[in-house]
Amino acid sequence: MDHASENLASSDAILARVQDIFRAELDDDALVVGLDTRQQDLKSWDSLAHIRLVSGIESEFDIQFSLTEIEQITTVKQFVDAIQAHC
Amino acid sequence: MSASSAKLPPHDLPWLPRPAGHLRDQLSALPGDPMQALASLQSLAQAGWGEAELRSIGRKVRGILKSAPANFGSEARAQGLVPIRLLILSASTASHIADALIGTAIRFRFLLEVVVAEYEEPEPWLDRNGAALKDNPPDLVLVASDSRMLKLASPLDDDAAAEQMIDAAIARISRIAEVAGRATARPVILQTLADDPDATRFNMDMGLPGTPRFLISDFNRRLARRARHDSRLVLDVNALANLVGLSAWSAGRYWYAAKYPFATAMVPLYADNIMRIIAAQMGRSRRVLVLDLDNTMWGGIVGDDGIEGLVLGSGSPLGEAHAALQRMALSLKQRGIILCVSSKNDETIALDAFRNHPEMILKEDDIVAFRVNWEDKAANIKAIADAIDLGLDSFVFLDDNPAERKRVRDALPSVAVPELPEDPSDWLMVIQAAGYFEQATFSREDQLRPGFYKANALRAAQMERIGNHDDYLRSLGMRLSIAPFDGPGRKRIAQLISKSNQFNLTTRRYSEAEITALQSDPDAITVQARLEDIFGDNGMISTVICRRDGQRCDVDSWIMSCRVLGRRVEEAILGHLVAQVRLLGVTEIIGRYIPTARNELVRDHYNRLGFAQIAAENGETVWRLAVDSYCEKDLPMTVDVRRVAEPA
Repeated sequence: MDHASENLASSDAILARVQDIFRAELDDDALVVGLDTRQQDLKSWDSLAHIRLVSGIESEFDIQFSLTEIEQITTVKQFVDAIQAHC
Repeated sequence: MSASSAKLPPHDLPWLPRPAGHLRDQLSALPGDPMQALASLQSLAQAGWGEAELRSIGRKVRGILKSAPANFGSEARAQGLVPIRLLILSASTASHIADALIGTAIRFRFLLEVVVAEYEEPEPWLDRNGAALKDNPPDLVLVASDSRMLKLASPLDDDAAAEQMIDAAIARISRIAEVAGRATARPVILQTLADDPDATRFNMDMGLPGTPRFLISDFNRRLARRARHDSRLVLDVNALANLVGLSAWSAGRYWYAAKYPFATAMVPLYADNIMRIIAAQMGRSRRVLVLDLDNTMWGGIVGDDGIEGLVLGSGSPLGEAHAALQRMALSLKQRGIILCVSSKNDETIALDAFRNHPEMILKEDDIVAFRVNWEDKAANIKAIADAIDLGLDSFVFLDDNPAERKRVRDALPSVAVPELPEDPSDWLMVIQAAGYFEQATFSREDQLRPGFYKANALRAAQMERIGNHDDYLRSLGMRLSIAPFDGPGRKRIAQLISKSNQFNLTTRRYSEAEITALQSDPDAITVQARLEDIFGDNGMISTVICRRDGQRCDVDSWIMSCRVLGRRVEEAILGHLVAQVRLLGVTEIIGRYIPTARNELVRDHYNRLGFAQIAAENGETVWRLAVDSYCEKDLPMTVDVRRVAEPA
């Protein structure tokens, strides 16, 4: 939690960690995501990958998303916003 | 965070050292050479990573294997990394555990490839893919059934209906196992069911037919018994869920969102259990527990505190905890685990405690080897391994001192050294949850094993006393009993064939079904051999499978337990084979040596037996013995041959 709260103000820092998780979970070391990246822009971001992303982000930030969040998140920005809301 | 300060839940694999640093950095710094990269990953994987990290490790392994050259498998094997393929049949989601399994497998020195059939009942999948499976069978099949697939339900308080429901479910799983086993001729792993924390459950429900509690517990017991009867392997998911707590195990949210059968945080524990079952099936489970003495076996330091000052047994909570550890060791001994002691101590003082402390549960006689001196513990463990002739990879070392643990881990990476919590009362859960000594089967030989090794120590003393090896062998009064494969011997034959790695000429594995088929195969010549001597019965210690083709006889498989190395048993068995094939008009016996990382021991086996080498390729050698040229040997044992198989 300490680690996460240090970065509370910085969505850039969160984005950097989220990008690492996207690279790992979507198995693409060169992937670059931005706040405006949408699920429909990335072919590899399918429904199973979505759950892997959720699980990876949950363990990285030590948080738990709600079922509604899991269902409604479709952009990187929504992930970052939800992380900030939980931290 | 210091390695042992926090008390970790079982699903965090608390027996493993905590990871140092960020996995991402370590993965990006892997060596470019694929073999070296795998070696680094294998050592990285020894830490207790979480689910996401295990997947990253698994993905890395997968990537390396995908781009590796064609002969990489045999190169990896030579480095002790064994490629295996696992087929997972699941009606839920299973692909999400594949990479974590691969990341876990390399901790066990397996290069795992996973084939997943998911979201589908296993029966139609097997129907469609049966032929492909026969052509390219996986090494094992996991039937990852869960309560959502089996849908156990019957009217409340109706015994007959509940019984019928469970009969049907057991029959269904058995059929799936049968079909999968037949298509692949490989071992099948079945799962028990976790209870459902979301189900209505009253305290009385275990006794009320038709309730989820009743149906699941009845199903589990019957599944496990049936599996033992049919020689299937069991992954006890119910026990895992109980260990971590049902509410932690099951996670409705993941089921609703993605059809995951249990919470993702449980994947490391689930994967570790699958791999330990596979390791046990492949003969790689651990067999030796080496215990430290001061502050491990007992509380206090015997050299300083004296026997009277030791904290052990009733009268002190700490003493009770140390006594519980001794009881655990004793119960492991009853499951065939060999107990040894390595301690920095004065040997006379330490032995005195064994002989004279009234609360000692372990007796001197329970310990196969003592190494009590002031030398380095790693050197002592190595000396024990040499003395009892077992590889370091079958050792577990228990020590309260983190510095000693680290030293042994660094010096002898193949020895398992569990992390232990600060408080001895927390140790047993961690050691038991680690499952180092997992066994895939149970035979009478297992229970006798510590006795075998103890007898070997007595034989070594006899050898030292007599000095001359031939005289020593003659002094043993050995009796070798030879018989063809039969029903009563089958379990132990299967165990030798599936587990032996060192004295194993071809490392060909056969299932119990294949072994049964050999009994009635007119062209198969099979041998099982038991050895007894004045120090006791060594049990069944050797199997040989030969195939006759006209005047030629090929030795397909020759296995011997390392317990009886240097006793000239292999010469006696060859004498028996020659006598037998002569009667069949065979003129030549052809033997083959296929090298692995672990059977260097028998590279010269056929040479020593008087065979002539006739071919060699990639380290594999082929040998020939002309039956006419064989001369009877004068051997230091009597040989009894039983020709007719007893009924099963």
